Amino acid sequence: MMAATLCGKLLPKQGWLPVTQSVRHGSKAVTRHRKPIHILKQKLLAVTKYVPPTPVVPKGAYPSERQEVKEESGFVLLLKRELKKLFQDYKMVAVAQNCNSNAEDMRILKHRLHRHGIAVKFFPNQVMCSFLSDSVYSNMAPLFIGPTVLFVSKEPKVKEMLTSLRSSPQMTLLGACIDNTLLSAQGVVSYSKLPSVSVVQGELVSGLAMMTAHTASMLQRHPAHLSALLQQYVKQQSSEEAPKAEEAT
Amino acid sequence: MAATLYTAWAVGGLTGVCRVNGHQQGPLHCHLKVLVAGLQTYEIPPDYSDVVLPAKPKLKFVNKVPNLKKPKREPKKLRDIQGPTRGADSFTQGQYGIVALGGGYLHWGHIEMMRLTINRKMDARTMFARWCISGPYKPITRKGLGQRMGGGKGAIDHYVTPVRYGRLIVEVGGKVELEEVKHILTEVAKKLPFPAQVVSRESLAALKKKHADMEQNNQNPWTFKQIVQGNMLGIRRVVSPFDVHHCGRFSGKFHFPGRV
Repeated sequence: MMAATLCGKLLPKQGWLPVTQSVRHGSKAVTRHRKPIHILKQKLLAVTKYVPPTPVVPKGAYPSERQEVKEESGFVLLLKRELKKLFQDYKMVAVAQNCNSNAEDMRILKHRLHRHGIAVKFFPNQVMCSFLSDSVYSNMAPLFIGPTVLFVSKEPKVKEMLTSLRSSPQMTLLGACIDNTLLSAQGVVSYSKLPSVSVVQGELVSGLAMMTAHTASMLQRHPAHLSALLQQYVKQQSSEEAPKAEEAT
Repeated sequence: MAATLYTAWAVGGLTGVCRVNGHQQGPLHCHLKVLVAGLQTYEIPPDYSDVVLPAKPKLKFVNKVPNLKKPKREPKKLRDIQGPTRGADSFTQGQYGIVALGGGYLHWGHIEMMRLTINRKMDARTMFARWCISGPYKPITRKGLGQRMGGGKGAIDHYVTPVRYGRLIVEVGGKVELEEVKHILTEVAKKLPFPAQVVSRESLAALKKKHADMEQNNQNPWTFKQIVQGNMLGIRRVVSPFDVHHCGRFSGKFHFPGRV
């Protein structure tokens, strides 16, 4: 440093050397420690600091608009196909919630239901809800919360199902979809109280045929009885006509 | 496929546990087990069929001294530590590596430590490692103990490899994921004489992108580059030409990640 300054400057006269020569040993550019920075450079660095952009809405205030679309795994697709077949094949699909039922209770219940041709199915709620949201039965989706079990059967055997469920206290019926109609728990109970189709048909037929059957039975009785009835009828008719004629006049 | 795993599990769970008469037995029919709400889907593990492992997967031995006929004493030239790397800052063969976040010299002891640790801990059947730095070539001189100043430059004591910010030191690849390799590389990275970080290809790209994004969305109207290039307030008096070039991000061997 010293030599450099002396050689760089021109000596004022020949053979002249300054009295004092200052020797300054600064540290090199690359040091092991953090070099002290000149105050002006410190100010420059402070002024030119990075300022990140402030979001207008803080993060987490609103839910993100984009919904993450997850690719469904092969197993989920398989389950959905099963569900589709289920809704096509089975007329009655009942949903119940089971709270801590043992394997033994489950087995007994399954055996009881199997005797009436009702099958017990398990499906995960997530898969069920995603399947229902796409299908016609979207209103069934709120039923599938918590540990749910599906009781499916080809014939709507509601009475037998209710009797089996009454025996197991853990199962609580939530709702059912019978013949493409959604029913609540009370709806299912009232449906069970309805008479069967054959009974209703018989009642209808009997109602229609009641008049003819009555007349047939009357004709089968003794003719004297019939003649007495007819005379009484004629008297009634005449008694009705007389007051009517009086009213008219 | 996940479906086959589940069928195997379902069928395996049935046999010998319960023979329920007349019930359907087959895949997807759980008899005794009640499925829990929700579905555990397992991610399909990555496919490594196209990864080729080299013949010698372990790190090679590196010489302490380069074999030169006449080793010459070199000046210190500390600028080989200063600033960012000129090259060797991207992956070539491996997937994961150690990147230097500062400048420094690696001597044979560091290199041996890295070689021994990585060779001991890695699984040669599934992964390979590769040096991204050359062996020590820069001679460092030392004078004997108790010598006074003067009397010429000292003799060569040892050799070092200079490393700049952003340089890759070691690359690891193979049929492995980052988590399997991370613990090995962090152990090594902690012992290096400069700050270092374990990166994968994606994370290295993300680091570079982060800096680019910072430059893009800086809300400060005043930038170091603008003030210094225009020599506002005569600031060039206290700012070196190196800082002018690198916009105040480096000081000696240190790098400041917050500077833009």
